[in-house]
Amino acid sequence: MAEIALGIDDLHKSFDPGLFERRIDVLRGLSLEVRRGETFGFLGPNGAGKTTTIKAITGLIRPDRGRISVCGLAHDRLEAREKIGFMAEQPYVYNHLTGREFLEFHAELLALPRAEVAGRVAEVLDLVSMTGPADRAMRTFSKGMLQRLSLAQALLGRPELLILDEPMSGLDPIGRRDVRDLILAEKERGTTVFFSSHIIPDVETICDRVAIVVGGQVRAVGEVRELVAQEADAYEVSFVCGEGVTLTTPLLASHRGSDAWWARVAGEHRDALIRELAAAGARLVALSPVRSTLEEFVLRHYEGGGR
Amino acid sequence: MRAVVAIARNTFREALRDRVLYLFLGFALVLLASSKLFGLLTVGDEGKVIKDFGLAGIQLATMLIAVMMSVLLISREVDSRTVYNILAKPVRRWQFLIGKYLGLLATVAANLALMTLVLLVVTAVYLRELDAGLLFAAAMTLLEMALLTAFATLFAVLTRPMLGSVFTLAVFVIGHVSEDIWLLTRHVHGGLVRPLVAAVYAVLPNLERFNFKTEVVHDLGISSGQVALTVIYGLAYTALVLVLACARFRSKDLV
Amino acid sequence: MRRRLATGAAVLALGAIVIASGRGLQAIPRNDVLGKQLLYLPTPEILKLASLGNQGLMADLLYIWSIQYYSQFSLDEKFLYLENVFDLVTDLDPHYFDAYRIGALIMSVQRSGDPAQHKAAVARLYDKGLANMPDSWELAEVAAWDAHLVLNDQELALRWMRMASERPGAPPEVKRVYGRWRDNIHGWTIEDSIAYWEEVVAEAERKPDINLATSHLYDSYVTLHRRRLDPLLGAIRQRTGRCPGSWQEVVDRGLLPEAPLDYLGNPYTIDPATCTLVAHKRIRWD
Repeated sequence: MAEIALGIDDLHKSFDPGLFERRIDVLRGLSLEVRRGETFGFLGPNGAGKTTTIKAITGLIRPDRGRISVCGLAHDRLEAREKIGFMAEQPYVYNHLTGREFLEFHAELLALPRAEVAGRVAEVLDLVSMTGPADRAMRTFSKGMLQRLSLAQALLGRPELLILDEPMSGLDPIGRRDVRDLILAEKERGTTVFFSSHIIPDVETICDRVAIVVGGQVRAVGEVRELVAQEADAYEVSFVCGEGVTLTTPLLASHRGSDAWWARVAGEHRDALIRELAAAGARLVALSPVRSTLEEFVLRHYEGGGR
Repeated sequence: MRAVVAIARNTFREALRDRVLYLFLGFALVLLASSKLFGLLTVGDEGKVIKDFGLAGIQLATMLIAVMMSVLLISREVDSRTVYNILAKPVRRWQFLIGKYLGLLATVAANLALMTLVLLVVTAVYLRELDAGLLFAAAMTLLEMALLTAFATLFAVLTRPMLGSVFTLAVFVIGHVSEDIWLLTRHVHGGLVRPLVAAVYAVLPNLERFNFKTEVVHDLGISSGQVALTVIYGLAYTALVLVLACARFRSKDLV
Repeated sequence: MRRRLATGAAVLALGAIVIASGRGLQAIPRNDVLGKQLLYLPTPEILKLASLGNQGLMADLLYIWSIQYYSQFSLDEKFLYLENVFDLVTDLDPHYFDAYRIGALIMSVQRSGDPAQHKAAVARLYDKGLANMPDSWELAEVAAWDAHLVLNDQELALRWMRMASERPGAPPEVKRVYGRWRDNIHGWTIEDSIAYWEEVVAEAERKPDINLATSHLYDSYVTLHRRRLDPLLGAIRQRTGRCPGSWQEVVDRGLLPEAPLDYLGNPYTIDPATCTLVAHKRIRWD
């Protein structure tokens, strides 16, 4: 069994909006790996290329360049798609069907053994707590119900890799909690979950690892606590100094306020900075360690390189 | 094959549950039943008028249903995103498209069958006859609609729903007039008119080839050779258009 | 509440205006003496293109329209573009039996204009139909009887009856008639016609055949009665200086035992302008 559930290597994709308009490069060499059994968060600002990446994985668009593998198989093979359960960003469903008919239709597409269809559909409806309204027309469903049903069709084939595009989008807190619990349940079962989201606290809670995509490239990837910890050993320094002072100590960030300077320095360079400030005759106003959250970390990356 | 059948069945079910279809069908049935009124106005053979009216009504109504339902059942799905859930599954793109086509064709065929039944009842009641020729004319209309629906499918993957329906209508109109226009322009020399008309005539299907209404209404003989060639022409052209549609859909980015 | 009242009042007022203006338009006489509607009929090619494969239906609609149009006129008025219209109908549907038959009938019964031109037009229309429907002995037979009874052209009648007798499926009676006509080319009497058609009426089984034969029999009787009674009316006019107002007047003069009736038992009338017998044929074609 492949250790890597999803492998993306140097993915490029651009789109041609039309006549007289410039080609838009959405993915510019995106690469990442998702290990079997992990829950992987895919973060990025609007227009970063998250949905494009997901569409490329599921075969809805063709990359210009690069490779994608699903459970060790080339992603464009039918056998690879058998291992995927995909939930699109919006719940695109057939209004003329009931919830049960919708799932039975997808069971046919998955070529589930006919004798198992009814049972599996009932099982999945129960998983997403949709057994009660299952025989109502989908046009009567709320957004939350549609989202749950959309997730249900993704789970129908017992996928090895669950791909969810913004599964919590548009849901109220109860809805979000339900989806979160479902994802955690799948995680317990050993399903690899790859999902994109804007709701960072949920990502922080659920995910083992995250990747931050900005401008069609992965800017950071790793375990949440590692990413946050990268910036934990840092200090914020406020000081006042005269004009023309040049500091040689490497700084993580700096800017000048109305009457004072502010800088962020890695822990290893803290003492060197203090000595340099003292030598330059600067007056140290404040010195404090940095407490970073994933949200702050992500936002810093968005602001640095997002659209 | 199971995916194709599932998609076809779902498409057919979607059509049956769409109220717009019943409006069209109801209108067509009322028109057919009222063909007797036109028969009353004529002097002479009432049966000819009833049959002419009935067959024309069936063709027109079926064409409108094919064009309209292709927008609702195929174009809308390709243009919207319900197709995402399907194509992310182990379903090949051609299976999706052929399934949609067959579902639409089944819808058209069901409507055609119902309208033909009404026409048969009308002729049985008012003319005291059961004309098997009407069934033959209806079958040829179905073959014509199978080809037109294939074009609707092709346009659904090439362009937006509204444009697709306009193009499909254009194929229907051009398909019925191209041969006559080509004959009319045979005395035009020089210029681009004749080559242009000839090109259109060569590329687009000649839908008049499926038109046996005159023969059926006037009980004229039809050679089995001609019928065989017509069927081969219709099926081959339909298959060709569907192959082109599948080829285009295969490489289409679903953004 | 006020808004609903205002909306209702607006709807009523506008509806009244629509109805009143519609009635006003209706009252304005549509003057189509020159047959302008007919001038703008498209060519057969255009109509065929517009029909999108339903030229049979287009022919039906044009035929029905023409029947309605020409029924507005009396026989003495000019039937403009008659041949054009039926040419158009039969171009759209070359197998349209009724169009040839009824078109020829209308052309042959009109009294205004040059009879020779009408006869030529009838012949052209029938010849066109006979060329387009080479297997139809029925059309040839109908044409022959029209030529014989209405156009009074025995040569033409003989030509068409011969055509009818030679076409596939022609029944023995047609061949018999042709034979008798051929033998008695100038001797075919109205009594022969009456005897023939009475035979056909007695033998016919289908309603359309009975109706058709009855129509010919009726025409034959009318011809016979005209030959006997028109000269009587002419003599009365000459003697008295005026045409009798009714057949009862003729009976009262003792010139007839009773008012003459047509074959179907309906009374004849007299045309005061020409002082001739007028028949009122009423045959139900359904």
